[in-house]
Amino acid sequence: MGPRWKGKGSEAKALANPISNSISDLQSSLLKSNSQGILSGCSVLLATNPQQTELLNQTCFGRPIITVDKHKQWFQFTLEEAFYLCFSLSCMKIVDGDHILKSNDELWEYMVSKQPYFINSFKAYSHLRVKNWVVRSGCQYGVDFVAYRHHPSLVHSEYGVLVFSDGNANNRLRVWSDFQCTLRLCGSVAKTLLILHVNRNGENGIGSCSSPSCLDRFSVDERTITRWSPERCREDQQCLCKS
Amino acid sequence: MHMVIYPSYSLGGSVAHWREELGMAEVVSNKGRMWITTGIVRGGKLYIFLEDALFLAEIGALQLFDVDEKCIPLEDIYKKVAGGVGGSSWESFEVYRHLKSLGYIIKRHGVCWSMKQVKSASASVEGESENGCEETASITEITKLFSSMQITEAGPVFDVYPPNSKFRKSSPGEPMFILCISSGGPPTKKQIEDIEGQCEGIPLKFCYVEHGRVSIFSFNDVELPVLP
Repeated sequence: MGPRWKGKGSEAKALANPISNSISDLQSSLLKSNSQGILSGCSVLLATNPQQTELLNQTCFGRPIITVDKHKQWFQFTLEEAFYLCFSLSCMKIVDGDHILKSNDELWEYMVSKQPYFINSFKAYSHLRVKNWVVRSGCQYGVDFVAYRHHPSLVHSEYGVLVFSDGNANNRLRVWSDFQCTLRLCGSVAKTLLILHVNRNGENGIGSCSSPSCLDRFSVDERTITRWSPERCREDQQCLCKS
Repeated sequence: MHMVIYPSYSLGGSVAHWREELGMAEVVSNKGRMWITTGIVRGGKLYIFLEDALFLAEIGALQLFDVDEKCIPLEDIYKKVAGGVGGSSWESFEVYRHLKSLGYIIKRHGVCWSMKQVKSASASVEGESENGCEETASITEITKLFSSMQITEAGPVFDVYPPNSKFRKSSPGEPMFILCISSGGPPTKKQIEDIEGQCEGIPLKFCYVEHGRVSIFSFNDVELPVLP
């Protein structure tokens, strides 16, 4: 299943406006205004100017919060999104409710304690973002993330992503009926199921991953799971042997 | 679903002798084009596995006889499958039947179609040939494999070839895919990687059967491109 562009001109428009450029602009803009997000529960809130609003929407980071504030817009980020902006792109700082700036290590410790599987989830999220894929929450599709080749207004999402790790600690897709369920869901919204397996490469146990530097030691394997239909394959004649 | 019906059934069908000591049947009268894609050749003789025999018996294309020259009724063939004779199982038979009815060509993994297939393969390593086929001279060597073959585990079970009117056992080409039956649950990452390592680049598929329905899945190793 290749990329399904929405309407004429979308593919050309996407090509003319690479995601990497928009992210680069976003980085510059946030750095210039010394942006600071507010850590609140499992979210980070950020006040933005119109240019930043536009860039965050273009790159699909966060969700806008509707307020009557005329002078600035507000955005809400997931922990993965916020940590990516803060740690991976180094363009946003984060404070707590007492206006105290948090270091990357402090944020890491906080996020790991707040959200189960944050480590694997963040590794998978950043693995895709680094390749310039647009990554959004997949919870309404029963998956962890959905991945788009460009902005969702231009292209349909290609992958429904599930994150696994060594030992399959999160008990996903344990039985065949789970497969049927997830594949059916993905299939009905025309996405391919993508499994991202985070290899800890020997880093196991909570004590050994106390800082984000452990992320460098992880690797990510990609596998898609598709259902094969022998009836359709045969009818397509693609699998028929030529002499 | 399109069902393949072979023309020569009831009177005038093929005949095979069940060889209990082998857990296989020796075909003594082969009528019809189905034998081009069914059975293995050893020492000039044609042998079939229990699933081949049952499939053909079900559609009336084959009569199976025991050592006393009595025709083995369908009920007794089902009982042999229930007993796991010849490395078979009801589940693996359902999978076999599902694909065979759709025209796919199937054989047990690890067993060559014929000795000609073994010879035509590049025999650069002694005792080995293409697709992990064993280089055995006699049929009894194959049946010794049955005791080590456990179809209930997630391991390669069948080599599946696409429907092909010009199929030749002497040069079948590579299988379209190798099929594993994973009834206990989906395979783990390690299991997939281990079996892929054994299968030398031939695509792998995993299946299971539930309430008579066969579901087949591919676990594709991919790499998403880096986008601009």
